[in-house]
Amino acid sequence: MAAKKILVADDESHILHVVSLKLRNAGFEVLTAADGLEALELAQTERPDLLITDYHMPQLSGLELCQKLKQDPATARIPAIMLTARGYQLDPKDTAESGILRMLSKPFSPRHLLTMVNEVLLEAAGGVLT
Amino acid sequence: MNDFFHGVTVRSGKLLSIMMLVCLGGGLVCSLGSLHAIWASGHFDFGMIAPILFVAGGSSGLMAIMSFRRSCRILIEAIHRMTTRGKLNNLQTESEEIRPLISAVNEMVEAAETCMSDATLQMKELEIQLKVATSERQHAQAIIYSISDAVLVTDTFDELVLANESAARTFQFDLDRSRRARIEDVVHDEKLVELIRDMRQSNSKTGRRIVEHKIKGPGEEKIFKVTLSAVADDTDAPAGVVAVLHDMTREKEVAELKNDFVSSVSHELRTPLASIKAYVEMLIDGEADDEKTTREFYEVIQNEANRLSRLIDNILNISRIESGLVQINKQPQSLMVILKEALEVIAPQARLKQITMVEQLTPAFYQTTADKDMLYQAILNLLSNAVKYTPERGTITVQTTVDEAKRKVITRISDTGVGIPPKDLPFVFDKFYRAEANNHMAKGTGLGLSLVKHIIETVHRGRMFVESHVGKGSCFGFELDLSD
Repeated sequence: MAAKKILVADDESHILHVVSLKLRNAGFEVLTAADGLEALELAQTERPDLLITDYHMPQLSGLELCQKLKQDPATARIPAIMLTARGYQLDPKDTAESGILRMLSKPFSPRHLLTMVNEVLLEAAGGVLT
Repeated sequence: MNDFFHGVTVRSGKLLSIMMLVCLGGGLVCSLGSLHAIWASGHFDFGMIAPILFVAGGSSGLMAIMSFRRSCRILIEAIHRMTTRGKLNNLQTESEEIRPLISAVNEMVEAAETCMSDATLQMKELEIQLKVATSERQHAQAIIYSISDAVLVTDTFDELVLANESAARTFQFDLDRSRRARIEDVVHDEKLVELIRDMRQSNSKTGRRIVEHKIKGPGEEKIFKVTLSAVADDTDAPAGVVAVLHDMTREKEVAELKNDFVSSVSHELRTPLASIKAYVEMLIDGEADDEKTTREFYEVIQNEANRLSRLIDNILNISRIESGLVQINKQPQSLMVILKEALEVIAPQARLKQITMVEQLTPAFYQTTADKDMLYQAILNLLSNAVKYTPERGTITVQTTVDEAKRKVITRISDTGVGIPPKDLPFVFDKFYRAEANNHMAKGTGLGLSLVKHIIETVHRGRMFVESHVGKGSCFGFELDLSD
C-alpha cells in the first residue's frame, strides 16, 4: 500500500519542520507549504490525502484555504486538521462546511497530532466524510 | 429753591434800602425846614421836631437792614464754601438777628448728614454683597469652564442657562450666543434633549441618572457617560437640570487596545513556545535518529528560547517606558560614538550577507543628552532591521546631519532592501505589527520598532520618521536635540 500523502502548511518553519519529520518517521509522504497560496497550488496538483494547516498564514488564511479547496470538486474531499496559535475558537459552522475535522491549538504535542492524523484518515476511509 | 429765595431776598432788600433812602432824604429836607422854622420863629413846638425824630429813626433802621444783609452775605458765603468743598459743618454767627435761622440751618445740616451716612453705609453693604455675588458667580463659572467634561445647565423652561467650552465644542455651538436659547436649538442630538427634558419633567429635586450615550460629532462617533442631575432652588422647587458628559471614547479604546495587546502577546509567546515544546517532545520520543538532527533540534530549542526571552524583554521594556517606571540615565553623549559602537556589533551580520556599510557621520564633538544604553539599543534595532530586510550585496548607509539653527541632529539609516508597502507604512511602529509581504524575510517579534519609537520619542523627546519604497529600500531616521 502506497504511503498516504499529507500536505502541511505553516509559515513557522520550525513547526513545518517538526511536523513533517514526525509524519515522515511514521511512514507518511509529506509535502510542505510556507503560505496559503503555495498550499492551495500544491493541494490542486498533488491531491494529498490530508491537509494540516495553520490558521494564521500570509496570503491566504488556513480557513480561506480550506474553503477554496471545498469549492473545487477535485479537492473538496480532502479532510483537514487546523492548527491555531491563538486561543480562540472558530465558528463550528465554518469549520464543518470547510472540511476541517479537527482543531489543535498551539503549543501542541507532535505525538497528539500523529494520533489525530491516524484518526482522521481512518474516518475518511470509513466514509464518515461524505 | 435756594437760588430763588436767595435772589428774591437780595432784590427786595435793595428796594427796601432805596425806599428808606428816599424817605430819609425827604425827612432830612423836612427836618431842615423845621429847624429853620424854629430858628426864624424863636418859638419851639413839638410838632416841629417830628421830622428830626423820623430821620433819626430811619437812619437806625437803615443801619439795621445793612447789618442784616451783611450777616446774610456771610452766611451765604459760608454755605457756598461748604457746598464747593462737599463737607457739611455747623455754621457760626455773632449776629443775633440770624441766630435762629443759623440754628435751623444747622439742624437741617445735621439731619442731612445722618441721612447721608446711612445711605453711604447701605451703599457699602450693597457693594460688598455685589462683590461676593460676582465672585461666587465667577468662581462657579470658572469651575464649570475648567471641567474637561461637557457641562450643560438648563432651567425649568429647558433653556440653556450655562454651558462650558467643552460642551460648545462637542455640540458645535457659540457659547456667547446660545445663552437662554432653547436646548433643542443648541444641542442637535434628539436623544440627549429628550434625556434632559425627561429629567426636568420628572420634577425631581435631587434625582440623578447616569446613561451611556453615543454622539455623532464632527469627526467620528464618540461614547459619553452622561450624568443628569435635577437641581432645586432655595425654596426647594425644581430649578432645572445639569448634564455632565464624560467622553469615554479614549477609555474604551484603551481597554480594547489592552485586550488586543494581551491577545497579541499570548499569540506571540505561544509561537516560540510551540516550537520548544514540540522539539523537546521529539527528542524524548527519539524521533531525531542521528547526531546532526539531534543537534539541529537543540539549536532550534535554544533559538526559540532566546526569541521568547527577547520577546519578554521587549514587552517589559515597552511597558516600563509606557508606565514611566523605567530608570532613565540621561547624560551628554556623542551620538557618533554610540553609532560607531552599534555599527561594529552589526558588521559581522552585514559581512555574512556581503552588505556594504557606508558611514557618513558628523564629528564626535556634537553631543546630545541621552540614555546611552537605550539609544544604543534603538540604533542596534534599526541597523539589525536594515540588515534583515536587505538582500545580499545590498548597501546600508548610516548618515548624520546637524541642523545648527534648530540645534538638532538627524540620523538616517537607509537600506537597499525590500521596502515597506504604502498600506503598511503608517503601522510599522505599532506593537506586533509586521508587514505581511515581508514576513518571510525575517523572524521578528513585531515589537522592535515600537520600542525604538518609544526610546526616541517618549524617553528622549525626539522625533522618529520612516520613508520607504517597495523594491528600492527604506530609510528609518530620528531627530534629537543637541546639548547646549
